Amino acid sequence: MDHTLKAVDTDLGGMTHGIAAMGDLAVSQVRASLDAFLGHDLDLAAKVVRGDDALDIQDHEIEKAAVRFIALRQPMADDLRRPIAAMKISMQLERCGDLGKNIAKRVIRMDAATDVEVAGPIAELGRLSADRLAAVVNAFRNGDAPAAYAVWLKDTEIDERHEQVLAGIVASLDERKSASQTAGDWAHLLFIAKNLERIGDHATNIAELVHYQITGRELEGRPKL
Amino acid sequence: MNTQLEALPETAVLQLPPETVKLRIGNVNFFYGQKQSLFDVTVSFAENAVTALIGPSGCGKSTLLRTLNRMYSLYPGQKATGEVILDGENMLSPRVDVAALRARVGMVFQKPTPFPMSIYDNVAYGVRLYEKLSKSEMADRVEESLRRAALWDEVKDKLKESGLGLSGGQQQRLCVARGIAVKPEVLLLDEPASALDPISTARLEETIAELKRDYTIVIVTHNMGQAARLSDHTGFMYLGRLVEFGETEQIFTNPVTSRCRDYITGRFG
Repeated sequence: MDHTLKAVDTDLGGMTHGIAAMGDLAVSQVRASLDAFLGHDLDLAAKVVRGDDALDIQDHEIEKAAVRFIALRQPMADDLRRPIAAMKISMQLERCGDLGKNIAKRVIRMDAATDVEVAGPIAELGRLSADRLAAVVNAFRNGDAPAAYAVWLKDTEIDERHEQVLAGIVASLDERKSASQTAGDWAHLLFIAKNLERIGDHATNIAELVHYQITGRELEGRPKL
Repeated sequence: MNTQLEALPETAVLQLPPETVKLRIGNVNFFYGQKQSLFDVTVSFAENAVTALIGPSGCGKSTLLRTLNRMYSLYPGQKATGEVILDGENMLSPRVDVAALRARVGMVFQKPTPFPMSIYDNVAYGVRLYEKLSKSEMADRVEESLRRAALWDEVKDKLKESGLGLSGGQQQRLCVARGIAVKPEVLLLDEPASALDPISTARLEETIAELKRDYTIVIVTHNMGQAARLSDHTGFMYLGRLVEFGETEQIFTNPVTSRCRDYITGRFG
């Protein structure tokens, strides 16, 4: 049901739109950082680094809108959960953007393109995390608690994949498999994998927030690896 | 874990632990002549706690309040059925003396209603009806009541002046002092701050928060923020029925009925 005071619906709609747009941007930043990594595309990497400012600005705007909404509309119940969740979700999205930027910066500093054999599993981990993030942004946009819950349930998949990627990198190092990779590059690869795993964690955090915003109930007992 | 949005219940009334209950009403129906305005209301009010009753105009919250001290019996054609149990005794029983009941269950109304007499006599008047006190005992009682109503400091030098000369907020606190001077057990407040400015409202709210240490307080209010700030429990009424009753925190953060949620979030039809 709509609010009797239409401005409340306008404000809430604006906040939802702002977060969904920020979520889309965060997803595209993460995907672009992955592409930059896979293609060792320094231009694209630089673009990702520059693009992060927009996420910071959006995060700030959402926080301002949420504070204003609380002060002026004095919301209760599910209306109160909206600005609270908005601030927390936008913070998580901003972190995802930071991680994407960090990956892009590492790409720029790496000496060479990564061998397909090594890059493949990392890219797969990255796609998995980006897909989770995209799914939870959509769950938020559609107010879909079961969809958020589905993302939350799959948190361990990313952790497992991350473990596999780490094991693979260590094995490659042991076997001195890749001649083109410098020691510094290997270190970057470890961090890139970690960043991608962290993006998955943020997607899970957002899933919890979306679920809380819609149902008022917290998801407890996050599945652990 | 079930994450689906479950179908919301039509009504949800929290049962309080019996040892915390001061006043309990059971299956109360109320009639203005032929017109029924309360339907089977069952709820408990906890001792030393504030219970807020909220709901749209005409939902029956003031009627429910008036049932608790049989204020309605002043008017012919008005009738309540069911039980209003105060410490184990049904206050709706014809055997209960109405004057004695109202000494136990005091009431403060929406508009300040000071008597056209001195500030001192406004407070002493009710006491004289029920108790024989010496002059000094009465002076102590008046001072104590005015202090507890957070009015003493403002009126102590003009106790002989008319109560009608006070500001609206002071008059309302004078009515609270008058209400508590007879040492009631339950205090009913019907929109006590609706005619007050924000500062007077804050003072009255602080007074109510202090008073709950000694009294069971039931307050009817249209001001949702006031209900949230002041009360321990909140009941939401609609069309003469109690739709939801629970801890105030739960009602204002996560109401379980859609009617209550729509009302407190301003989505009411």
